Amino acid sequence: MASTQPKNDAKSTEPKPEQPVTEKKTAVLEEDDEFEDFPVDDWEAEDTEAAKGNNEAKHLWEESWDDDDTSDDFSAQLKEELKKVEAAKKR
Amino acid sequence: MDSLIRTFSNAQSSRDGYQLAQTLSPDLPQQQLQAIWKSCGHHDAQNVIKRGIQNSTSGFEKLPKDEVQGWSDVYLAYWKAIGELLPALNQAPQSSWTKVYDAWKELLSALYRGYIGQGFEAWSIPCLYVVAKNLRFFALKADEERNNNVAAGDTSGQIFQDDFDPESEQNQKLEDCARQLNRIFTLCLNDRAPLEESRKWGIYYIINLLFKTYFKLNSASLSKNILKTLSAYRGDMPPLSAFPKSQQVTFKYYEGVLCFLEENYFQAEEHLTQAWSLCHKDAMKNKELILTYLVPCHLLTTHTLPSQKLLEPYPRLQKLFLPLSNCIKKGELHAFDLALQQGEDEFVKRRIYLTLERGRDIALRNLLRKVFIAGGFEESKVEGGPRVRRTRIPVAEFAAAISLGSKQMLETDEIECLMANMIYKNLMKGYIARERGFVVLSKSGAFPGTGV
Repeated sequence: MASTQPKNDAKSTEPKPEQPVTEKKTAVLEEDDEFEDFPVDDWEAEDTEAAKGNNEAKHLWEESWDDDDTSDDFSAQLKEELKKVEAAKKR
Repeated sequence: MDSLIRTFSNAQSSRDGYQLAQTLSPDLPQQQLQAIWKSCGHHDAQNVIKRGIQNSTSGFEKLPKDEVQGWSDVYLAYWKAIGELLPALNQAPQSSWTKVYDAWKELLSALYRGYIGQGFEAWSIPCLYVVAKNLRFFALKADEERNNNVAAGDTSGQIFQDDFDPESEQNQKLEDCARQLNRIFTLCLNDRAPLEESRKWGIYYIINLLFKTYFKLNSASLSKNILKTLSAYRGDMPPLSAFPKSQQVTFKYYEGVLCFLEENYFQAEEHLTQAWSLCHKDAMKNKELILTYLVPCHLLTTHTLPSQKLLEPYPRLQKLFLPLSNCIKKGELHAFDLALQQGEDEFVKRRIYLTLERGRDIALRNLLRKVFIAGGFEESKVEGGPRVRRTRIPVAEFAAAISLGSKQMLETDEIECLMANMIYKNLMKGYIARERGFVVLSKSGAFPGTGV
């Protein structure tokens, strides 16, 4: 198919071997930003994402801060810095 | 052609629109297309088809004369389009996707005329879906092919005009396709028949096609016009929830992304969450697309981040969001900037860069919050009273934290400016006592929503 050939080949007038029609879909769907057609038109509520996630939905989003702050280097460094400020003030 | 007419006849008697639509699909094995094309010749196609349609129904179900003519025109146009499609699929000389597009457009026009003046009934609108969807597909093919030819230096057939505009030239057929789809949109919207037999049931399918087309043409504003028109008619429309879920989800996705692009994040979150909940659980690609916009929304509206569990099935999203998320959590400003820079191309392409950039505020909030927590508690004035956190914090402490986090030394003025911004955005509660070099934070919820 023209689109899948290198550019200079696109206007080639040689008849190409037969290709099944279904293959033509792939050329366009490479556009990965486009919402895809669903294979079926409609589905039951139990097949929705919401039904699947009922018991785990609350674990999907988490708070954006981290209270467990003693474990990593950055927090340790921060404490050091704050101590320095404290010390400077007392001097 | 005979078997097409048989299916046509069955579909007519059972009034099955989806079955009928199958007879207008170009998406068949080549042998089948070949057989349809060879079943009649140029000289007799018109008569063969018309006779077939005429004899396909009988008795009470006999089609009115107008409608026979209408469907005959439709199948003649279909037959002609197959005649262009076959050589294009085989890249035969003289064939082109532009010709396929033009022939297919004739087919859509024949259908259009059928609904306008020849009594086509609303149950048959899936025919519009199939034909409109493929018109868009052929438009993309035609533009792609032509652009490749131009790149290869073959400009024959190109008419150069004074107002030559390479941008619109590139999407010539797709733009034409958008106009055709818009016609169909109006055709569905303006049907005055009672709801149960109205073409209004076709509206969301067509709108979704239009959205996809407009997005590809990079004109979100035209999509917005569709939404405006739709809301003007909403009173006369069946509710969205009465439509198939595939249509609901697609519509909600695009409505959400449109709000997102207008920085209307609360509404965007609402639409996208609906799309997410209704989406088929196995439609991974679409779920990934929904999350691509839902994650930045969540960050700005509720200041929450996606959990490992949520992103687990999507390696691409992990790559996109996890580095940023980690930096936000830890308040590492410098690392955040780097992560943002690293993903810049992808973020810009997805149109989420500006939104994610605002996540820096959350990172800063978390950094300041750490300073507050590190400040510990003050001795209670009352013996055994509740412990109170230290709320008078020297600006110098925040300055040290920000310098550490952003890996650059900032002037005190700049620090104060950042703090003032935090307070203004309600990410931190308190005031700056400048002359004393202190920040005085609220005793009840210094960092709203974060438990301290």
